[in-house]
Amino acid sequence: MKDRLVHNSISRRHFLQIAGLALGTATLAACAPAAAPAAAPAAAGEQTTLSWWNGFSTPTVQEIVPQIIGDFEARHPNIRIEYELSGGPPGGGDLVEIMLSRIAAGNPPDTITLWDAPSQYGALGALTPIDELMGQAELATPDSFYENVLNTCKWQGQTYGLPASAAGAAMFFNTDRFTERGIPMTRADFPTTWADLRALSDELTTRENGELTEIGFMPPWDATWLYPVWSKLNGGQIFDAANSVYTVNSPENLGWVESWASWIDQAYGGDFEKLNILGNWGSSYPHDNSAYYNGLSSIKADGSWIMTDVDFPFQWEVAPLPYGPSGTGTASGFWPNWFAQPKGGTHPNEAFLFIEHFCTKGWEIWYRAIPDTPAWRGASRDVVTQALIDKVGEERALELHRFFLDALEYAAPMWDSPINNFASDTLQSAVTAVLGKAKTVQEALDEAQALIQAKLEETLQSA
Amino acid sequence: MSRRLRDTARAYLFVSPWLISLAVFTAYPMLASFYFSLTRYTVIQPPAWIGLENFQVMFAKDELFWLAVWNTLYYTVVSVPLQMLVALLLATLLNHSTRGIGFYRTAFYLPSLVPAVVTTLLWMLILDPRAGLANAALETLGLPKLGWMHSATWSKPSLILISLWVGVGQPMLIFLAGLKDTPQSLLEAATIDGANRWQRYWRVVIPLLTPTIFFNLLITLIASFQVFTTAFIATATATGATAAGPLNSMLVYMVHLYRQGFRYASMGYASAMAVVLFLALVLLTLLVVRSSRSWVHYEGAPPR
Repeated sequence: MKDRLVHNSISRRHFLQIAGLALGTATLAACAPAAAPAAAPAAAGEQTTLSWWNGFSTPTVQEIVPQIIGDFEARHPNIRIEYELSGGPPGGGDLVEIMLSRIAAGNPPDTITLWDAPSQYGALGALTPIDELMGQAELATPDSFYENVLNTCKWQGQTYGLPASAAGAAMFFNTDRFTERGIPMTRADFPTTWADLRALSDELTTRENGELTEIGFMPPWDATWLYPVWSKLNGGQIFDAANSVYTVNSPENLGWVESWASWIDQAYGGDFEKLNILGNWGSSYPHDNSAYYNGLSSIKADGSWIMTDVDFPFQWEVAPLPYGPSGTGTASGFWPNWFAQPKGGTHPNEAFLFIEHFCTKGWEIWYRAIPDTPAWRGASRDVVTQALIDKVGEERALELHRFFLDALEYAAPMWDSPINNFASDTLQSAVTAVLGKAKTVQEALDEAQALIQAKLEETLQSA
Repeated sequence: MSRRLRDTARAYLFVSPWLISLAVFTAYPMLASFYFSLTRYTVIQPPAWIGLENFQVMFAKDELFWLAVWNTLYYTVVSVPLQMLVALLLATLLNHSTRGIGFYRTAFYLPSLVPAVVTTLLWMLILDPRAGLANAALETLGLPKLGWMHSATWSKPSLILISLWVGVGQPMLIFLAGLKDTPQSLLEAATIDGANRWQRYWRVVIPLLTPTIFFNLLITLIASFQVFTTAFIATATATGATAAGPLNSMLVYMVHLYRQGFRYASMGYASAMAVVLFLALVLLTLLVVRSSRSWVHYEGAPPR
């Protein structure tokens, strides 16, 4: 028996040889990219199937998206769209992670919806530039989008996607509360400067036994998407895209963050942690936990989507964002949805037709359901979201629609950095470090500037 | 083909699923991450060799790396002993033969079967500083409300509390198996020698349980350094999708690594972080294994 065992045992060398072979074969199989077919337009009459990945899955999406796609397929009978509305890529997982893996492996989807700016993915080399196609486009021409919104898709002069929407930012205020406090307020009367906003906020702020019970306005420190707007309101900018330079610690930005810190210190006692226990000042979700919804604050800077997303138990109005002491006028912000063509897609021409449709005529269908302001200038000024009409009536809905559409003309440059996520996270850390009294404004912004600029230079080198 | 060769080939055929899985899903990613750690790599572009630059940045320039190390060490130093202690206490309680004990064993193990994402979201509701049950209970007792996840002071203890709920079931079950394996003869002998209940537990049960404690300690220690889901979900829910808790107080090592790799597309840097974690865990495991010689007692082992 012993002999038999000895005979049947595997020598160490033999084992390593076979294991090495298996490892090598598996590694080669894993590394080999799928063959990418040549990108050629389909022949006339030939049926093309495009894949579209998206992160949508809400009931509105289930209802509206098939209509947009049906409309596209009717206009282009030789193109069929293959898609899922499961909230992620086919088979599940994180949309961007899987997209990057599939691009690296050579079998990406033809089109994708992104929630981070194409400028970032363009800098990574993950998306197909579409400038040539835009030059010949019927609707999505280079000058047919709001300039700062289209800039979110650009990196080093090339365009890597299209913006479908640009939901705008504004000051929302609770007019019922203002009336109760004897300060009737209209959009025309709303403060236009930070100093006047602060004075108004102080009027609305109340205490009982030294404890805050209600405040006017809380600086939106956790709305990082609005930081570039706040910077511009004080005459500054965070990222200078033309010169590829960050200016985080500019005097204007120091002034902006200093104004927030002193506001929280002087008006609300400066205990950042206690303020966070008192109310959910930033997010409007979940609605019943939001300080603005609950009447704990009467003014809030937020995006146009809350007009239909939230059923406010009071009358409200919107106004342009006030500007700071170093600023010269108002500015607005926007949060887009983008459509892009991952690098290596097999049908770039047909894919462009699809993203063009979604970001132009198709978005008008979407806009009737959700007030995500169209980024395409050709969108009708008379198409209004039905849910908004149901809430505020047709005349006011139309007026609000035009307010947010016009605001895109004076939007701050934003979402245009190749390292937007890194910069946004780093800047938020810096701002909260100041408000939490862990660092001075100068220290925090100097450190953030050094980190962000270094990251940018690394990206520029490797691009 | 000789019989010996045929037998060998058959043997490899049977073990090949495991060998292939080891090669593709463990060995290759490990080796690849060692290589990528020495490169600038964004997944899309081919990796560019930069030598030790990622490690230089990590140790000398990345302030958040050291903060993540501190947050993880804090989490490990508090959560591992706590988890071990609570698991042992629960296992000791569940080792009694009482009516309905099966129900209790199931009930205490049940939280481990619920996905960590769901449990974390549930705890986020409980720990909500405005409307959560935890602060409601504190208020009823006349105690001040806490900021929990919204407080730089309380965020890490909150995370440890959630992880305790999620993670205590597994070590508890293993401790229970160890306790069940305690020879009755030794306990009876101790009783005859006059040992009371505490002495029997401390002098007989615990020494016999040391191999189980050793196993649980290693597993819990490694898991605590790799804590991710709870911290990621908790921070995303409490403070916005991009934050890592107030003043980055919940930026644990794996969350920082994930952000580098998947949010900033710095896969080379993320690989370098993975390599450092791997080496740290190897070192720590060796230390624990080495120390076990002095405190782990195996039945039947020759006396030292």
